[in-house]
Amino acid sequence: MKKTVCYIAEGFIILLFLFPFYIMFYLALSAKEDNIAAEWFPFSLQFQNFADAWEQADLGGALFNSFIITFGAVIILVFCAACGGYAAARNKGKINRIIFNVMILSMMVPGIINTVPLYIIMRRINGINSYWAMMLLLACQCLPFSVFMYEGFIRSIEPALEEAAVIDGCTRFSAFWKIVFPLLKPITVTIIIMQGVGIWNNYAQAVFFLQNQNYHTIPLAVSTFFQAYGADYNLLAAGVMIGMAPIVIIFILFQKQFVKGLSTGAVKG
Amino acid sequence: MKTGKKRVSDNLHRFMFLPATVLFFIFFIIPLCQGIGVSLTDWNGFSDEWNFIGLENFIRFFQDERAINAIKTTLVFGLVSPVLLNIFGLLLAIFFDSKTIRGTTLARTAVYMPSIISPLIMGYLWTLILSPQTGVIDEIFQHFGLSFSFDWMGDTQKALWLIIIVNVWQFAGGPMMIYLAGLQSIPADLYEAAKMDGANAFQLFRNVTWPLLYPAARINIFTNIIGSMAVFDIIMSITGGGPGYATESLSIYIYRQSFNGFAGYATAVAIIMFIIIAIPIAVSMRWMKNKEADV
Repeated sequence: MKKTVCYIAEGFIILLFLFPFYIMFYLALSAKEDNIAAEWFPFSLQFQNFADAWEQADLGGALFNSFIITFGAVIILVFCAACGGYAAARNKGKINRIIFNVMILSMMVPGIINTVPLYIIMRRINGINSYWAMMLLLACQCLPFSVFMYEGFIRSIEPALEEAAVIDGCTRFSAFWKIVFPLLKPITVTIIIMQGVGIWNNYAQAVFFLQNQNYHTIPLAVSTFFQAYGADYNLLAAGVMIGMAPIVIIFILFQKQFVKGLSTGAVKG
Repeated sequence: MKTGKKRVSDNLHRFMFLPATVLFFIFFIIPLCQGIGVSLTDWNGFSDEWNFIGLENFIRFFQDERAINAIKTTLVFGLVSPVLLNIFGLLLAIFFDSKTIRGTTLARTAVYMPSIISPLIMGYLWTLILSPQTGVIDEIFQHFGLSFSFDWMGDTQKALWLIIIVNVWQFAGGPMMIYLAGLQSIPADLYEAAKMDGANAFQLFRNVTWPLLYPAARINIFTNIIGSMAVFDIIMSITGGGPGYATESLSIYIYRQSFNGFAGYATAVAIIMFIIIAIPIAVSMRWMKNKEADV
């Protein structure tokens, strides 16, 4: 009896969370006159919707931009955060401690608060509508949390390991990359996944600094598309579905890492 | 020459905090300081001229009804969402942690999946479902000949609650996963011992489970409050701040003001927003700390 109730509840939960995606799938594959109440499956199979949405929202270009920016930002982030976390964990000088604590405090400040003054700086460094400045900016937004994670993890590694390498003739810097960094793999994977998703989905900064259509990322392209084609639901749903696809595919492929990443983050915090 | 090069690479490790620090200064500390200066001007965001106007922007903020409404929206969204996210996250975690049924991995994945998708895009999907007249829900009503319309999006009273519900639906998976990790780290013999002492299910939860979930609750509450107070994307895509200004949060207010030639004013609003956010975070952190000390 209890089991049955639990199974019903489980089924209800799955339905509740997946049904909106089914509606999206239905709309994206049906024609204007189709109605989900009349036909539960989009039998008219309008694959043309995808082709139209792809072209009219310039999703190909947006996908390319999103990929470049996310890729670059994540590499910058991992490099800076791993080095920074190492410095904070191993070199407890006064300056390092101050920088580290200020970074921790900055996690409380939402990104949007800095937007206007950031705009001034972005203009001065010629970073409006550019890949490189957006990469640096988004990497910086994820930096405090990532440094914090690396610092905690590096502290749990014995310094004797690097010291042995230094005695063997390595410099400390190369000892870090050769000996310590490979040990940090679980944290690195967590950071790439968790922060990579945030960077990929970023809208609040992109909407200010990537106004040129040629630099539109996926969220920007979808939002422009909605403003332009507000009434054509089938086309819009196809656009939404293409916009979601990359991240959903990555999620399905790397599910285990996502879950592990979340829990490591929780335990460390 | 060679010895000089060697010395540089020998000392490289001393500068390992440098890349992060430079990045952090250029894109966080400098704008933060500059923001205080900009908030005291009437700068419009594009011209090269501006005038120092003292605290006028701050005075204007508290005289602006739209701004006060944005504070209210931000506080309602920013306090209700975290509470609901934690309640549902915890309930789902407890449900999935019990070993009475199978197939929970699939269900967990389904619950978690929406949270990795851009809230902007997710919000757009929901508008296709919830829009009055043209949305899927109303289409179903029309199909069955019902004249009823599900019009929460266009209702000044209900629109914000609709966005809160969508937001909780989308992001309940994150807190759930973190609570699950917390639940799974509780050793089973603790429960055994408590059961031996004759504790019932409620007492078990109250005295064993919940205290041991404090670290998970702390990280959840902290991240949820920060995320919800700064809410931007999901409101932009569902109502755009409307109807009227009914669902306009401080983030959206800042966005609109800075695009409408009031960059100085928008920066002043940002500073006020920071103060408004810092208070609930400080209070909740203190509360959690005291709780943890009690255990």
